[in-house]
Amino acid sequence: MTSGSSESASGTAAASSRDSRESAAGESGPGSARTREAETQTATAVVLATAPAAEGGPAAALPWAGATVVRRLLGQLADLGVHRVHVVTRPGWEAELAPALEGLDPAARVHVCAVVADDLRAVTDAAREGSGPLLVLHGEIVTHREALAGLLAGPRLVTGVLARSGGFPPFLAPRTRSARGRIVSASSAYHSTAPSNTSLLGVVKVGARDRPTLIETGERLAALTEGTLPPGWEEELERKAARWRLGLASGGVGADAADEADDPVNADGREPPDATDEDERAATGLAADEDESGPERYEAGEARIAVSSPEADAEVERRLAVLREDAVALLVVGLVRAGTPVANSFLRALFWARPLSRDAARDTAERIEDYDEDRALLDSAVKGNDGFFTTFFVSPYSKYIARWAARRGLTPNQVTTVSMAIGVAAAVAFATGSRPGLIAGAVLLQAAFTADCVDGQLARYTRTFSKFGAWLDSIFDRSKEYVVFAGLAIGASRGFGEDVWVLATAALTLQTLRHMFDFSFGATQHEAIETTPRMAVEEPGDRPARRPGMPPALATSPGRDGATGSPAAPSPLLDTEPGPPAEPAVPLPRRVVRAISRRATRLSRTLERRPATRWLKKILVFPIGERFAVISLTAALATPRVTFVVVLALGGVATLYALTGRTIRALSR
Amino acid sequence: MSAVAATGTAAPASQRRLLAYRDDGPLARALGRFLGSSVPVPAAVLTVLAAAAVPVVLARGGDRVSDAALGGAVAWLVLVGGVASGRTHAGRFVWLVAPLLRLLEYGSLLSFAVLAAPRAVPMCFALVAVLAFHHYDTVYRLRHQGVAPPAWLSVAGGGWDGRLVLGYVLLVTGSLVTGYLVTAIVLAILYVAESTASWLRFTRVPRPAGFDHEEDEDE
Repeated sequence: MTSGSSESASGTAAASSRDSRESAAGESGPGSARTREAETQTATAVVLATAPAAEGGPAAALPWAGATVVRRLLGQLADLGVHRVHVVTRPGWEAELAPALEGLDPAARVHVCAVVADDLRAVTDAAREGSGPLLVLHGEIVTHREALAGLLAGPRLVTGVLARSGGFPPFLAPRTRSARGRIVSASSAYHSTAPSNTSLLGVVKVGARDRPTLIETGERLAALTEGTLPPGWEEELERKAARWRLGLASGGVGADAADEADDPVNADGREPPDATDEDERAATGLAADEDESGPERYEAGEARIAVSSPEADAEVERRLAVLREDAVALLVVGLVRAGTPVANSFLRALFWARPLSRDAARDTAERIEDYDEDRALLDSAVKGNDGFFTTFFVSPYSKYIARWAARRGLTPNQVTTVSMAIGVAAAVAFATGSRPGLIAGAVLLQAAFTADCVDGQLARYTRTFSKFGAWLDSIFDRSKEYVVFAGLAIGASRGFGEDVWVLATAALTLQTLRHMFDFSFGATQHEAIETTPRMAVEEPGDRPARRPGMPPALATSPGRDGATGSPAAPSPLLDTEPGPPAEPAVPLPRRVVRAISRRATRLSRTLERRPATRWLKKILVFPIGERFAVISLTAALATPRVTFVVVLALGGVATLYALTGRTIRALSR
Repeated sequence: MSAVAATGTAAPASQRRLLAYRDDGPLARALGRFLGSSVPVPAAVLTVLAAAAVPVVLARGGDRVSDAALGGAVAWLVLVGGVASGRTHAGRFVWLVAPLLRLLEYGSLLSFAVLAAPRAVPMCFALVAVLAFHHYDTVYRLRHQGVAPPAWLSVAGGGWDGRLVLGYVLLVTGSLVTGYLVTAIVLAILYVAESTASWLRFTRVPRPAGFDHEEDEDE
């Protein structure tokens, strides 16, 4: 509606939008901008220039626009207020890095380390000094400033990583598994994560309060990577190497370039669609690899069919060298396994690449050139997991209103308040009970809903997050809906002589009930994660039942799961003691129920993967966009009574659907 | 016994969250404290049993339910639902508890009005809307502030148990219309004022990454 004027100017948008972002941030919710500023100013960065380039020397010193890749990164950090910088590099590489560090104020501290254990100690040393958050990142990362800004300023990120969603990570980015926005398993050269639904993009921010854990786990990892590796570590590395050999043999060496050039951008910008399923799998211990896609599937033994060639061997060696030196991955594994909550800051539609050769750097430069950062930022502002109506009928234009609002310096909370005011106006119009009033109410309700989408997008676009703003948004969402119910009920008695207060109260009760089911079920899911046993950093696997070297008969107790033939749930028992193989058998009816419910869970996951059925599932849940659309349509075309009957009927179907799904999930446990 | 010791005694944050969602008043809390440990039935089962009373009474009596039958139903609800508050909130179906409490609370208040004083239904809408505000506020404050509303609020608000008893008293005394309206106004002032005060007090400090609660809710 109001968007028409400004959306064409996207080419020149970057600079102006940043200005308005700052002005918007200046008057956000209670003190958010100021806190963020203070946080960023005291942040320290440890830049790891330890990965070798294909041509030799540090990848961080690859040429970039007349300077180097790491120079660009340091510039971005300085721009974000990160001035205290440590640079970790290998002996003999200092000279190549020196130009990149010239003119930094204060000067960067250079640590020359021979092996990854020393890199880890350099990080823990940095963590002992100063205060505030500590950023640890690879020096050769090429990404948008806003991707780093998002991690630094993220609303619920004390400790977090730059992440990408989806099962296929970019080249050499370690796989992670996330549930409910938190990393539950991370991988490194020596640690595996299966299944995975997210990946780590080489940047971790450790909040001030988590520094002690970082120091502790960093020291532990440093000791472990020195000398003889713990049992299973070499095997895990060899498994990864075998996978690459197989991939290189089937795709040829040329596949490497394609792999490295693998679209670095998260194409759909969506947060992990099956995060809850993963979550549920983590919680229920469903067979971890039953439908795992991608190369993690290959077992070491299968590599025998791979034909080795000198080029392929050299390539595998190169990748192994990079992977072994990945201190960021090791630290994230250590933090996650120490129980530190590590959040994801998703890249979404922004650009990210980690070039490790001159060709790759050139290619990266060309592609980031073609990129419209503001456009990507705006696309990223759209919430990933919205409903069908919101995604296809509101967000495509509401994001332009969000940008318009950003340029005029409106804050998200102002837009939230405007949305509530429009909602009240809609209720008043409905309350007249006249046909024009009902039509006006319907239109106003849609306007209120659009404004409701705008506030969130504006907050994400301008990174103006506040806890109060989030609360206000949620509370006003509910209030809008219920005030409209009241308006419709008044309108029904004034205009149609009908008393529909019972229906209105029933609709209010049903909707509250549905939300309470979501909240309650969510809380139990969190509990399942909280109580899942954590593995020590010495363990290469991420769950007890999958520990390599443990005889399969002990790792999976046949009595527990004979019905499905899948590995048994990771029970806390297995953590301490494998237990006798002849564990008391689960009664048959219970096993049948579990088998059927697991099959149903699997079917539901399959449906989740096809867009058509995924959207159908989302519509069935009857989310806010669909509800408001149904209210508007029925009120404008029919009577308030029809509105309530339809809302109750569809809400009832949605309740049954959700209850069925959750009962099945609970039974499969 | 040893299993309990091994898993630790501190209730996980999620369990405290589920208890906060219940919105128990002093009556339910007392029942849970004194009887909870002696009734070895899971909280979810108890709550389903409690909630079953209202439809049973309504189905048997139709529109002409006696006050005594309703009184018995309310006593059953408060007793069984209250005892459940003293049980551990863990298990596969524990997520049914808080929503069922909402269903039986809102549903009972509405059926009182429908049965005894149809004129009170709009006031009932207002009352249920105020309660819904409080229940959403509890969830959203736990999510964004990390703390539940203070204990005194559940005493002042009566909890679901206290409000059920109050609703029944209003029904018996024939004062549902004014009673619901006054209760709605008083609770609205109480809940909105307390919530506003909590936000004024709340100073924003960075917190460790919690869970991404937006995923909990299909809006």
